[in-house]
Amino acid sequence: MRFRSIGRPSDPLLPRSRTDAGGSSANPLGTQRKLVSALYSLAGIALFFAVWWAAASRLPRSRLVTPLEAGRDLWTNFLYSPRLGVFGLGKVGYGSLMLYTLSNVFVGLITGGAIGILIGVSSARLRLLRVFVDPVVLVLGTVPILVAAPLFLLWFGVVPFTQVLLVALYSAVMMVLFSQRAAENVDPIYERWAMTFGGRLGDRIRHILVPGTVPEIIGGLRITLASVWGLEIFAEILGAPSGIGQAIKALTNLSNVPGLLACVVIVAVTAIVTDVVLVVLARRVTAWA
Amino acid sequence: MNPRQAILSVSDIGVRFVRADGSPVVALNGVSLNVLPGEFVCILGRSGHGKTTLLNVIAGLLGAQRGEVRVMNLPVTRPGTDRGVIFQQDAVFPWMRVVDNVAFGLRVRNVPKQERLRIAREHLALVGLSSVARAWPRELSGGMRARVAIAAVFANDPPILLADEPFGALDYVTRRQVQAVLRDLWHRTGKTVLFVTHDVDEAMMLGTRVIVVNNGRIAEDRPIELPMPRSDDDVATPAGLALKHLLLHHMGLE
Repeated sequence: MRFRSIGRPSDPLLPRSRTDAGGSSANPLGTQRKLVSALYSLAGIALFFAVWWAAASRLPRSRLVTPLEAGRDLWTNFLYSPRLGVFGLGKVGYGSLMLYTLSNVFVGLITGGAIGILIGVSSARLRLLRVFVDPVVLVLGTVPILVAAPLFLLWFGVVPFTQVLLVALYSAVMMVLFSQRAAENVDPIYERWAMTFGGRLGDRIRHILVPGTVPEIIGGLRITLASVWGLEIFAEILGAPSGIGQAIKALTNLSNVPGLLACVVIVAVTAIVTDVVLVVLARRVTAWA
Repeated sequence: MNPRQAILSVSDIGVRFVRADGSPVVALNGVSLNVLPGEFVCILGRSGHGKTTLLNVIAGLLGAQRGEVRVMNLPVTRPGTDRGVIFQQDAVFPWMRVVDNVAFGLRVRNVPKQERLRIAREHLALVGLSSVARAWPRELSGGMRARVAIAAVFANDPPILLADEPFGALDYVTRRQVQAVLRDLWHRTGKTVLFVTHDVDEAMMLGTRVIVVNNGRIAEDRPIELPMPRSDDDVATPAGLALKHLLLHHMGLE
């Protein structure tokens, strides 16, 4: 009952608790609910592994291995995997290759996302810019990765920049759309009120548009992040100097099922961890929501 | 009334809208009025008869096709710090703590942080919300958020306060309490208030003068000569009831 400490019980206009005022609850019931949610999540993960295990025990080892075997492969090849050296990847392990993929995703998402947010929010407010931006975004958004990735390889070569640019491009396109919607969803009453206080355009952008769009933009960033993992790995498989996609390509050539599943696990775990980090950051930035 | 003494002067305002089907709507037609400093003017009328349009024109949020609005003898072309506005809709910024909401106007005017926080806290005390200064708006009730809006506008110290049915969404008891807060602040500061309402009782409880807007025109403009501060008993006197019937008649209800 944190709210009681800031409210005056004698004032009839003060709500009796956070819940009365429509706020989120900070009580034992809330903690219990969180615990139940965590248990459900754990049960979901356990069910996934159980199904995997059951399927692996029925299929031949050349098709599917148990989670334990995949985990063992991940452990032994995390820092150094001799079989990957055969494919010209050098003295690397799954870990260093995943780090390359992660850094490409990170740089591409940050640069593309920033450009997308800027264009999206601006075009939601400036009609002329919107008229120009919308068709461009529509065209870029409909170009399949199967077409864009080989083109980029031809234009820029087998260098990290190619994958970063691809991730940045798709991130920008997605974030333009998310940011446009976020800016449109900010109630105009806030800007009108700010104007009556003497707020100029700069004040309204800084104090209204930016904080008002943050929750939806962060939601968009999470969806974009989840999508660009696949793009990055696909681009790496097509042609890249390093990356977990190259490991997947090499292990496919070797028909190494435990190695492939280990790569899937490491990508999934990294994607989940980065999403959790984003959620934690989002909760801090949008404590008011 | 001498227009030269007026803090607010509205001359022959005309506003027309065009509906989606292309048909024109006359929202205001030849509206003129002068408001003296310190008056509490209630603009009364039915929904859709031009009250909010008139307030938006005075606030500078809406341009008129005809006529002129002058505040302290200067023409109104845009919103300004000389006219604080409380909207019907909850406009308190949800991403700012209560104290920062109240200090917002001072912040955009570059008042130093210590000074603006001092002023904000003073005004929160005036509306009885000192204890929730660091709370988020979502943690407050509707009545409390209405008081935050009042504190924010008064903290910015505009000579004129424009209120567009600000308590319409509140329950009866809360509305009466927030009305008392506004009336006390008006009494204390002597600001000029234009208060839009469709509630005759609210207008008679708060105003020193009432203007009835009907079909985009001023149908009645008269002082409310009842003692201040008013109670329900004051409004229920023969003089009060006669005025109420007159206002209802001009609103087209009796």
